[in-house]
Amino acid sequence: MNQLSPTPTTGSKPIAAARVGIGGPVGSGKTAMVERLIPALLNRGIDIAVITNDLVTAEDAERVRRSGLIDPARVSAVEAGACPHTVIREDPTLNIEAADELERRFPGVELILLESGGDNLASTFSRDLTDFWMFVIDVAGGDDIPRKRGPGVIRSDLLVINKTDLAPHVGVNLERMHQEAKSVRSGRPVLLTNCRKGEGIEAVVDLIEREVLFRA
Amino acid sequence: MLRLHGIIGTAADAAYAGLIHELEHKDGIELLFVPPSDAGRKRFRLTTDRGTDCAVSLDRDEDLVDGAVLFLDPERAIIARFGEQEIWRLKPVDQAASLKLGWNAGNLHWRVRFEGDVLHVLLDAPLHTYRARILPLLDSGEVEELADV
Repeated sequence: MNQLSPTPTTGSKPIAAARVGIGGPVGSGKTAMVERLIPALLNRGIDIAVITNDLVTAEDAERVRRSGLIDPARVSAVEAGACPHTVIREDPTLNIEAADELERRFPGVELILLESGGDNLASTFSRDLTDFWMFVIDVAGGDDIPRKRGPGVIRSDLLVINKTDLAPHVGVNLERMHQEAKSVRSGRPVLLTNCRKGEGIEAVVDLIEREVLFRA
Repeated sequence: MLRLHGIIGTAADAAYAGLIHELEHKDGIELLFVPPSDAGRKRFRLTTDRGTDCAVSLDRDEDLVDGAVLFLDPERAIIARFGEQEIWRLKPVDQAASLKLGWNAGNLHWRVRFEGDVLHVLLDAPLHTYRARILPLLDSGEVEELADV
C-alpha cells in the first residue's frame, strides 16, 4: 500500500531531504570533500544544499560559496561557539533549524550535506540530525588513528581515509592503515580518497546514493 | 528494493490487528530488525528476515517504534522490530558521587536518561568499554551498578 516510486511524496507534503554529516579532525579534508562532492552529486542530477559549521566564523561556508560550485544561497553557516561536537550531537538544534530552513527555501532539495567543524576522534553525529554520516581522517594525521578506535572511526556509517597521495611522503603504509581501519569497523565501509585530485569521490557518491537516496 | 515511506501504524493497533493476525497464519509477516543505536534514523536501508531489501524514510517528526508497520497489503506485512536497548543502571551513593558520575558521563558523551537518583546509560558498545571509563568510581563503591544488562 505504501510502496513508493523512486521519488515519492506523501500527498502534498514532500519527503524530507536526506541529511548527510561529514565529520573528522581539523585539516583532514572535510571541506575539500564537500567541494568534490558538490559537482559529483550535481552531475548525477541530485538537488543539494550545504551547511558548514565553524567555531566562531563562517570561514568554510564562505569558501564553499566562493567556489562557484553551487548557488551561494544554498550554503548556510552555523557558528558553534563551542566544541564542534556540541552542535552536531549534544544539541543539534542550530543545524536542524538550518537544514529545515534550506528545505523551506529550496523545495525539492534531495540532499543536505552538513560539514562539522574540525574535532577529535570522539566526534559523532546525532541520529536526530543526520541519516548517514562519514568520518574523514587522513594519512598525514598518522597511520595509528584507526588502531586508536575513536567513536568517529568506529561508529560512523562511512570512514574515509583521505590524502592517500601523501602516504609515501609521511611514511604511511596505506594498505596496512586501510586493513586496520576495516578490522575495527565490524564490516562498515572504509573508502580511500584523494580529494585534491578527486580520486575515490565517485565511490563515496555511490554509497550515498545507495544508502540514503535509494537510487541504486 | 522496496521503497517505503512513513509508518502506517503499529502491529498492536486495533485497525490492523485483524489483518496482521490473518497474515501470521498465511506466513505473510516479514520482520525488519533495526539496531537500537539506529532507531533514531529517518532514512535507512535494511533487509528483512525474508531477504526483502527495504529503503525506508520517515518524516522528520515521525519516530520509528518497535512494532511499526511499514508495509501492509493483503499478502504481506513488514514490521519493524528493535533489538532490545541495553541499559546500564548506575546509582551514586551520595551527592558528591553524583557530581563525579555526571561529570564523567557528560565528558564521555554517553547517551543517558535520568530516572530519579539512577542514571540510565544507553549502551552503544560492549559494557566493558563503558565500565573501563569509570572503574575507579565503581571500585571505590561511590557508584553502584544496578545493571541487568
